[in-house]
Amino acid sequence: MWLVYKKELLEILRDKKTLIFSILLPTIIFPVLFFGVGKFTQSKTQEAEIKELKIAFVNGNTFEGLPDLFTAEKHFKKVELESSDYKAEILNDKVDFIIEVPEDSAMPSQSRKQELINLYYKGASKLDNISNKRVKDIIEAYNNTERLALGERFNLTTDNVKAFNKPIAVENKNFASERERIGEFAGPLIAYILIALAVSGAMYPALELGVGEKERGTLETLLLTPMTKGKIVLAKFGVIFTASFFTVIVTLLSYFVWTWIFTMGGKMSGLDFLSNISGLDLLLVAVLLVPLTSIFASIMLSASIYAKNMKEAQAYMSPIFMLGFMPVIVAFVPGMELNVKTAMIPITNVALAMKDLVKGTVDYSMIMVLLASTVVIAGALLYFTTQFFKKEKVLFRS
Amino acid sequence: MIEIKGLSKSFAYDKKEAKKKKNKAATDPREGEGVFHAVRDVSFQCGKGKVLGLLGPNGAGKTTTLRMLSTALEPTSGEILINGHDVTKELRYAQKLIGFLSGKTGLYHRLTVRENVEYFGRMHGLSKQLMDERIDKIFSMLDMHTFAGKRADDLSTGMMQRASIARAVIHDPKVLVFDEPTTGLDVISAKTVLDFIESYKETEMSVIFSTHHLHEVERLCDEVCLIDLGETKFYGSTQNFASQTPSGNLYDAFLANVNNKEKEVA
Repeated sequence: MWLVYKKELLEILRDKKTLIFSILLPTIIFPVLFFGVGKFTQSKTQEAEIKELKIAFVNGNTFEGLPDLFTAEKHFKKVELESSDYKAEILNDKVDFIIEVPEDSAMPSQSRKQELINLYYKGASKLDNISNKRVKDIIEAYNNTERLALGERFNLTTDNVKAFNKPIAVENKNFASERERIGEFAGPLIAYILIALAVSGAMYPALELGVGEKERGTLETLLLTPMTKGKIVLAKFGVIFTASFFTVIVTLLSYFVWTWIFTMGGKMSGLDFLSNISGLDLLLVAVLLVPLTSIFASIMLSASIYAKNMKEAQAYMSPIFMLGFMPVIVAFVPGMELNVKTAMIPITNVALAMKDLVKGTVDYSMIMVLLASTVVIAGALLYFTTQFFKKEKVLFRS
Repeated sequence: MIEIKGLSKSFAYDKKEAKKKKNKAATDPREGEGVFHAVRDVSFQCGKGKVLGLLGPNGAGKTTTLRMLSTALEPTSGEILINGHDVTKELRYAQKLIGFLSGKTGLYHRLTVRENVEYFGRMHGLSKQLMDERIDKIFSMLDMHTFAGKRADDLSTGMMQRASIARAVIHDPKVLVFDEPTTGLDVISAKTVLDFIESYKETEMSVIFSTHHLHEVERLCDEVCLIDLGETKFYGSTQNFASQTPSGNLYDAFLANVNNKEKEVA
């Protein structure tokens, strides 16, 4: 047994492609990926920690000193509300937080009951949580001051005061919808699954129609027919695209059927938000997958045609998978948003847009930008594949 | 009729290979500056109803030559004329006149024999009626009707080879190019191929046939072209080829004409 083990291992170690694609590449890609993602997350977190937050008070002076605590902080800016429609003020980015002290409130240190603050904001992401924490930290600081003042009033020691409940309770009024909040976590997951399905759906037919035909000896006979190489490769691309797209569409459809079943049954109310995704958003998810699956179909077909045999082709598929998923993972780093810049990054842009579509926060103009950029890339790759397929060196590589 | 005039094919080395060759003195006359001249100035012709045997050791350039004849590869220089039509200039027309089969060509395993043959017939633009007629004729000739509905992955090697022949001739080509079609076949399957080629001698078709089996040459070929190191070493009638050595057999003639060293050329 040992002899066979040693011989097999020796053969694998002498296979440079296996070494490069199965061992060397992952050992480079993953640390780079994790380091990059870590660094980016750190910088975004730091950015969120010092981001200027616009805060407005309603009856703020009832709690004497509370507004001053905020204005004393470096990165808070006190603003006045333009209307009493808190939701519109927040959703239109005129203000980030509104602290409302109810009209019948008293100064906590003078009160005999727990006072209340209504905190209005919109928060769904991790970065929103950071901003939220910053506001609550200040309220907590004010709570401490008031707690100590209350203790003094009742001749209590600091230890006694610690035993007190919070003089002020905070009632969170989050304007982010349930779909947005759940979509923040579910969106990336759904995008990841759909992209994974698109990639895996393209892989098998790509192997079959490229290197598979080479190995079976049918490719050469096909090339000798009067049909042009360009038409042959386009037909092959079409099949890979269809298989990949079909896999994703069937999955999407089954997801809706199951969502409908679950939500109708009321057994999994957590999935309710999924039924809020509009037909247009769903259609856009499918549309986004068109150039995306084209990109993977072209890359995989090229690799498959180039490979001498199935083993070599499979060795190429692993890095394609990894390189395909790197931009997807990047899209889920907190703070990554769909904007003009990110709309130009292939794959990442689709993942970001899918996340926003699931959340219901997508900027439709950005979808057009990303579609334009992705279609250009998909077209260029398809052109490359057709040219690649015409090369004798590729077709008869030995 | 097919005429090959001064046919050459060179392949540029890839970077890795070029680097390897750079520091080495050329040991093979085909090695050039950054290129490998796989076929060098090969000329022959094959008339209607004739079979020409293309001979040569492994790596001599036979497959490259046949790939150029079958239009899979474009010649670096030279001419290939089929009934006076230049293959490189009238590619699509030429492809309708050529049928190609090698020991390595295969079938689509998940299609039936008939579907496989029909697929290639359609690729050649045959009408439904003509296709049915051709299929009926070829299937009868090769005794294929019994397994026409079987999927290719259920066929025996012999059946597979017959189906491959049918696939190669469905469009009624005028030139048949066979690249080692009996390699790896058992005696019975090989006989099917040889019988088929023999039967085509009675037609107007030109058959070019490469093989390592000299008894097949003896049985089928009117003429022989022997290639070694990419060059023509002999071209003439099979009889003249055999009579080159005192023994008068093809085996000795073959050895006398090739660079008789145990040399595998990659």
